[in-house]
Amino acid sequence: MLESFLSGLGVVFQPMNLLILTSAVFIGFIGGALPGISGVILVVILLPVTYGMEPTQAFMLLTAIYGSTVFSGLITAILYRAPGTPEAVMTAFDGYPMTQQGEAGKALGIGVLSSAVGGLVGTIALIIFTPMLASVALKFSSPEYFALAILGLTVVASLGGRLILGLIGATLGLLIATIGIDPLTGTSRYTFDNLNLAEGVGLIPVIVGLFAVSEVMKRSLSRDAEQPLTKVKIKIFDAPILKKIGVTLSRSSILGVIIGILPGIGASTAAMVSYSETVRWSKHPEKFGKGAPEGIAAPEAANNAAAMGALVPLFALGIPGSGTTAIILGAFIMHGLQPGPMFMLTSSDLIYAVFAGLFVVNFMILAFSKPFIKLFTRLLNVPYSALGPIILMCCIVGTYSVRNSMFDVWLMLGFGVLGFLLEKIKFPLVSIILGLVLGPIAESELRRSLAMSQGDLGIFFSRPISASLIAIAVLLLGTTIVIALRKRARIRAAAMG
Amino acid sequence: MSGHLATNGHLPMLNHNNHPQENAMITRNAIITASALGLSLVVASPAALSADEAADFPSKPLQFLVAAGAGGGTDNFARTIKPLLEEAMDTRVTVVNLPSASGALAHQRTANGDADGHTLDFASSTLVTSLAAGQNPTGLDQLTPVARMQSDVMTLIVDPDKYADFDAFMEHAKANPGQVIIGGTHAASPDRMAFLSFRDATGLDISFIPYDEEGSVAANVMGGNIDGLFGEISSVLSYMESGEMMPILVFAEERLENFPDIPTTVENGWDLTDGNERGIFVHADTPDAIVEKLESTLKSVYDSETYQEYEERVNLHYREGWLGSDDYREKLEQNLELYTRLLENT
Repeated sequence: MLESFLSGLGVVFQPMNLLILTSAVFIGFIGGALPGISGVILVVILLPVTYGMEPTQAFMLLTAIYGSTVFSGLITAILYRAPGTPEAVMTAFDGYPMTQQGEAGKALGIGVLSSAVGGLVGTIALIIFTPMLASVALKFSSPEYFALAILGLTVVASLGGRLILGLIGATLGLLIATIGIDPLTGTSRYTFDNLNLAEGVGLIPVIVGLFAVSEVMKRSLSRDAEQPLTKVKIKIFDAPILKKIGVTLSRSSILGVIIGILPGIGASTAAMVSYSETVRWSKHPEKFGKGAPEGIAAPEAANNAAAMGALVPLFALGIPGSGTTAIILGAFIMHGLQPGPMFMLTSSDLIYAVFAGLFVVNFMILAFSKPFIKLFTRLLNVPYSALGPIILMCCIVGTYSVRNSMFDVWLMLGFGVLGFLLEKIKFPLVSIILGLVLGPIAESELRRSLAMSQGDLGIFFSRPISASLIAIAVLLLGTTIVIALRKRARIRAAAMG
Repeated sequence: MSGHLATNGHLPMLNHNNHPQENAMITRNAIITASALGLSLVVASPAALSADEAADFPSKPLQFLVAAGAGGGTDNFARTIKPLLEEAMDTRVTVVNLPSASGALAHQRTANGDADGHTLDFASSTLVTSLAAGQNPTGLDQLTPVARMQSDVMTLIVDPDKYADFDAFMEHAKANPGQVIIGGTHAASPDRMAFLSFRDATGLDISFIPYDEEGSVAANVMGGNIDGLFGEISSVLSYMESGEMMPILVFAEERLENFPDIPTTVENGWDLTDGNERGIFVHADTPDAIVEKLESTLKSVYDSETYQEYEERVNLHYREGWLGSDDYREKLEQNLELYTRLLENT
């Protein structure tokens, strides 16, 4: 294996291939940083270009673009609260408050470092464990996915802020997730005979609306619209910060790899779950959402690790782990390759060259990100009266391009207004995203599980992985509630005394 | 086999539309402006009213509406045709993916657009299956099929460690009514129709679970969580090699040359031969002459070496794909009737 990897590195360091990787990283940087333009779209745009290339080069290009878009979504998420990709939505929660406190450079540095660490952990897992991890993915069926989604949803209780608002938000997210044709029975739900709603409400219009557009509205309406800083110094390696986020980095990278490997759920879910777990395990959960460094490290390490993890089932089984990898799978077929269990044996040269390419790409991200981000931070000096409309325009173009749908643009603007209003009452927007991302998984996997067991609920407890996940969820939820109750009792006692 | 005379029951419409190029990125306002420009052009060029509309077709770039997402089989199909048709018709083509609502949006946009043959709808059998399920408001009477170019072979696929062959599967399914689970992609998909027609023909008591993606279905079969899936033979080739999944029944009249050991539905006495088909549609009122021209050009594309090489590369060459406009319409109507009946019985 090491030998194949080294010969793969040899292929990567051919001048032409290095050039391809470098351009892929830059294309990915730009696309990822623009709100709405995600890895999926870039890969689709470049797909026809790769038909004329050799398969090895084609897949180095596509996978490198994929990796670098997942990274660069953090830039605009941190600087303007306009997540460049759905994967980066969690990064905005603590990244943007840091920017507002004048610490954009610190926030970006944490983001870059966490992304590179996550990406490297993911790539190493990809290289070493692909054959083994693939069989783990097959152990996950509907009951396990359901248990995982439930574990994620229970975190609403630990999110801080008012619990009732968190519950309302999560329920609202779940409600939005039910819109569209029910995947199991084909029944239309809340579509009002509108074909645009048949496919459901996409994640991108909601995210871009709730976060980017609402922020543009808020900033445009406030009198003191000036950014509090003019100079941003990005520091990637910072010993005290590193010490602070070390545990979060390792936990989130591992969580990211595991979630990434599971077919059907991708880097966005990984970022969400690892952010939630970081909040849950933190000694100061109340600091999250207000500029906690761990709040940037967790989603960024996890989404980059998950992006690499999603390639594991693709290479080992021919099963895509996420939306973008599904398109890469289509590209394999167009090149006359047969991804599947034999792929590792029949095309090992290609696969190891792609692995080596991804390994190098992570270092390229580390090296090139600083000058690239500099370009974006310069924009901070542009008056918001000019910058705001530009951000809004990017949001509109990006959202439109996802499904070539004007309807989605209106939807996004609608969510922008909703987000603006909800922010006024300090509503925890994260809970809406939580419900929206995890809701469809929880609902359809619950029904699939029950179909598998002919209606017997025992299926969740007789399967070891789902039973353990549910037990952990119950335990964690119980502890959170007990701690909260005790705290309240203590406060009451103090007030009485 | 080739039905070149496209008599679809509609009188040829006079073609007034001479819009400047419209591409996908155009907004509603821009379209209004474009229409206004188009009106002034109509005044300028009454020649468009002549009987032989086909002579100067295409008079502007063509637009392919793909009723599926990027990277899938239908998208690859459209993008393979694109350069070949551009060359054959000496024109330019823009491709727009409209995956929303299983492609229903693409059919609707084709049916509501101009009947001038410049908008081509690339669709799979999902057009008929979603129509039967009531999820696609654009009926077969609103579209004219130009040609079918691909006909994939449907198979029943299982884990060979669980069921060595079709007999073993049947025996198990008969002995354990209600226990055997087949997976597939959503509730109105071609694989669900294959499942329904298989259950209808065999009388077995088996059930179906729809998943969001084809990959999840395969993962559940390989992981032993469900018993099998209906899918194209081309998608499981590499799994056959490694022995993780195996087709055990082919929906075809005769055994496939490349797989002589796999029994067929017809030899078991079931008249099930449908697979996923991919074809091209235009507005129902498109003049016959233009439909004919498109059909004959597509036939030459289909017969070209480049296209045949592609079919072989993606393993779509097991069965003749070509079906002309009239034959394809007949086939679609039969399928619609069958699927509607099958869905009513569930």
